[in-house]
Formats: sequence, structure tokens, C-alpha cells
Amino acid sequence: MSADRVCVGALAGAFGVNGEVRVKSFCAEPEAVADYGPLWSEDGTRRFALTLTQPIKTGFAARIDGVATKEDADALRGIRLYADRDALPELPEDEFYHADLVGLEVRDTGGAVLGRVRAVLNHGAGDLLEVAGPELGEPVLLPFTQEAVPTVDLASGRIVADPPEGLFPDG
Amino acid sequence: MARAVWKGPFVDSYVLKKAEKSRESGRNEVIKIWSRRSTILPQFVGLTFGVYNGKKHVPVLVSEDMIGQKFGEYSPTRTYYGHMADKKAKRK
Repeated sequence: MSADRVCVGALAGAFGVNGEVRVKSFCAEPEAVADYGPLWSEDGTRRFALTLTQPIKTGFAARIDGVATKEDADALRGIRLYADRDALPELPEDEFYHADLVGLEVRDTGGAVLGRVRAVLNHGAGDLLEVAGPELGEPVLLPFTQEAVPTVDLASGRIVADPPEGLFPDG
Repeated sequence: MARAVWKGPFVDSYVLKKAEKSRESGRNEVIKIWSRRSTILPQFVGLTFGVYNGKKHVPVLVSEDMIGQKFGEYSPTRTYYGHMADKKAKRK
């Protein structure tokens, strides 16, 4: 998989007998899976032009260019669909895609490395960055706020954190 | 059956004490609590609590729209990551 692609869905086999496929969407708005232009397989060798036809119980029914029979559609089962990162729309300031945040290096205000962002979570009380690193035993959840994360520098792949007391083991 | 109104909202007393102490000190800290059953009160707004989920303390920054809920609602006990896809995070 190319690092500048994000997984937005998966193919789950045939829908009906006319060559339609079942698509599972992983997007925040499920129908957006077809909005990001042609999608790619994980290894980037296959390209899928997707047209959603109707919502179904497990996601969406869709047509793919070049897939005309149920057998062709069944053969695609399990393929994950990747969109080019550049196809995702620009976001306003202070909004970030999870895909951009995951993997960034986290440093404290003194420049010491705290770890890397492993996941972005939201349990209803704001976004949290899960920071993991060799120095930390358990991953630490860092609130994604202006106070706790004053700087997000995507260009240099770095986050500067000013975590509240008691969040990091020696902090 | 719903809780009687005359009793007022339930809060473990140690949560109130810790919150009051933190507010007086004015320090930027996570208030570690184990009481998932306590109700979120108006005086907790703006504080960050670390609500125990059985394994670790999940930071919960209390905002106005959380008043009346229980702390445990914001600290799930099961892990689910899901897919990143086009999901967005907003820095408050």
C-alpha cells in the first residue's frame, strides 16, 4: 500500500446476479466512499471506478466498470478499497484527518520525544490522541486541545504537546 | 425507577473534594477518579478528569453539554479502533 492512500472501504462480494457488488464503507459519511474518484486495491495494481446504486443492509450496492457478471463480482470479495490522500477535501484550520495525525512524532515543549500517535479516538468528550512509545509502558491518551497540543506540524511530521500534569509517567 | 428529585444528583464525595481542590490550585492537571457512577455537575465544567475504565484513566474534558450525564459514559470499557478512512479530528 502506498503511504499516501487511505482505506475507505471494502468489497464484500456480489449483490444479485447482474454483476453488482456489495461495498462496505469505512467513511464518516458512508455514501462518501464513492466521492473520492477511482479507488485502488491495497497493492495499487487494480483500479476501481465505483458507482453506488442503492443502500443495502450491509452497506451499498455498486457497479464497477468492467465487472459484468456475478462471478466477476464474487471474485472481488475481500478487496480493500484505497483512495488517494489528495482526493480528500481540504479542511479548515484546527481540523485534521486521522490519517494525517497517525504516525506523527510527539515531543514535549522541551523537545524530548514522548512517542508517536498510534490512533485517534473520540468517546464523546473530544478527540484523544493515543500516544505510544518505547519509554511509555502503556499507551497514553492525550486530549487533542489547544492547551495540550499547541502545535501540529504536518510538514515536519511532528506534534508539540504540553500535557496536563500526571498524564505521562514522569510528567 | 428514576432517582427522586429531592435527593439531588448523585456524586461520590471524594470527586467533589478533588475537583474543588484542583480548581483552587488552578493547576493544569488530570483529576484521577474511579467513580464512573458520579453525575457531572456544573462546577466540573472546564476540568479534565481521568475516568477509570478498568484498565486506565481516560481523559475527559468536561463541557457544558455533558452536565447531568455520568462520567462512565465518556470512558468506554471496551476497545474499538475502527478505520481511519476520512474521519476528522477537531482541536478544541
